[in-house]
Amino acid sequence: MDDRFRITAADRDRAAALLRDHFAAGRLTAGELDERLTAALRAVTFGDLRRVLAGLPRSPVAPPAGRVPPQVRLERGYRRLLACYPAAHRRVHEEEMLAVLMTQAPAGTRRPGIAEAADLLLGALRVRCQPPTGPAEPGWRDALAVLSIILPVLILLTSAVSEARLLVSFPAPGAFAYGFPRWLIPGLVPPLALAAAALLALWMRRAAALATAGLLIVLASGLPSQGVALAVSDNYLFLAVALEIAALLASPGPRRGLQILTFKHAALVVIAMLAVVLSPSPVTPAVMFAVLGVICIAMALASSLGRWLLVLLAIPGYPFFFTWAPFPIALAFLTPDAAFVAKSYLPSLILLTLAVVTACRRPLRPGRSGLRS
Amino acid sequence: MTELSLREPTFLILTALAAGAQHGYGIMTDVSQISGGRVRLRAGTLYAALNRLAAERLVEVDREEIVDARLRRYYRLTPQGAQRLAAEVERLRRNTTVAARRLAMPGGPA
Repeated sequence: MDDRFRITAADRDRAAALLRDHFAAGRLTAGELDERLTAALRAVTFGDLRRVLAGLPRSPVAPPAGRVPPQVRLERGYRRLLACYPAAHRRVHEEEMLAVLMTQAPAGTRRPGIAEAADLLLGALRVRCQPPTGPAEPGWRDALAVLSIILPVLILLTSAVSEARLLVSFPAPGAFAYGFPRWLIPGLVPPLALAAAALLALWMRRAAALATAGLLIVLASGLPSQGVALAVSDNYLFLAVALEIAALLASPGPRRGLQILTFKHAALVVIAMLAVVLSPSPVTPAVMFAVLGVICIAMALASSLGRWLLVLLAIPGYPFFFTWAPFPIALAFLTPDAAFVAKSYLPSLILLTLAVVTACRRPLRPGRSGLRS
Repeated sequence: MTELSLREPTFLILTALAAGAQHGYGIMTDVSQISGGRVRLRAGTLYAALNRLAAERLVEVDREEIVDARLRRYYRLTPQGAQRLAAEVERLRRNTTVAARRLAMPGGPA
């Protein structure tokens, strides 16, 4: 057809339909679509129409239903990566970052590049580690405050439960023949001391933290005599005490913890403990894992505080669950004793170090830089 | 009070903003141009740095616009930011002057 021949309304409609198909296929932006549609409706000759469809291939087969235009898929990919940033940061910056990411992505990319993704994740880590300024991100600080109250209670209860089981397993008449069995006392002293320190923390937080540190040193001094391959279930106590120190130093303190905890929570804990004590023994690992799994899922779904508590409680709880884990080949070069300790404790120690380092950075005052900007 | 030196990406961001208020993508292209293509700033690094600079009151938000149905936020240097950049420039200039002079001395390595 010669460019000078005039077109019919049907030709215009067909051109408009073609433009919409090209847009659905992702070859045009919304702005270009508007522009070209306007031009198509004003077109008079075939030449006009040719200019309207310039640069577009002849058969714009629309993607089959279910295929997503590359731009939308790219945006979804970026949003998934941006979800790693803290909520407060996202509230302010997400749309802006998305605009920048979409602008600088080369046309036609379908998913975020590896370098881009790595950079975004690293940025998320950096933002999370920056000290709180202004209205602080309360999540983990509140969780630490709650922990500073809960941990001593938990440790006391679990110690009391294990001691009670020991007591029950002995034949009844002999146990109390000579008064209160004195071998029970050493097992109960650390948890009682910890509970006393937590109570002290209600008034003098730093003194209580120091006292707890002293307790940790006393406990640790007993380590060498027991040898390296320790019964791991006894030594969650070390990690729990270390976590308690971190919680006392870095959080608003037990008072805030008491504010957050409600009677409902306390009642739930007491019921759970009673269930553990009154259950027939021995409880098989499978049952224990099942019950714990249910509790963890419930906590994770309930609130962000529950999720933070799970992460922090994993630190002392980790050794329990990984005595059953298979031996990682990477640790094969260590001696069996050292490898056992590494497998049991290293992840918890790393988590604990991270928690203490990020928790102890004080908020920046304007005009003063801490580490290099 | 002696302050620690700025890292290069931070220095370049402050330099980019010294010319006037810019938005994120503008800062990225400007930094790439200033460093002659050597430093390529990506969105994650840029926004972590902007977050930190805003916390230290060295930059602040200038205005917001909607362009192409997307949010665009412009940042500008605060007076403290300009001061910090000037101090850093002075420090670097002193160091480079001494280094250049020593390299050019007769009997030296150059």
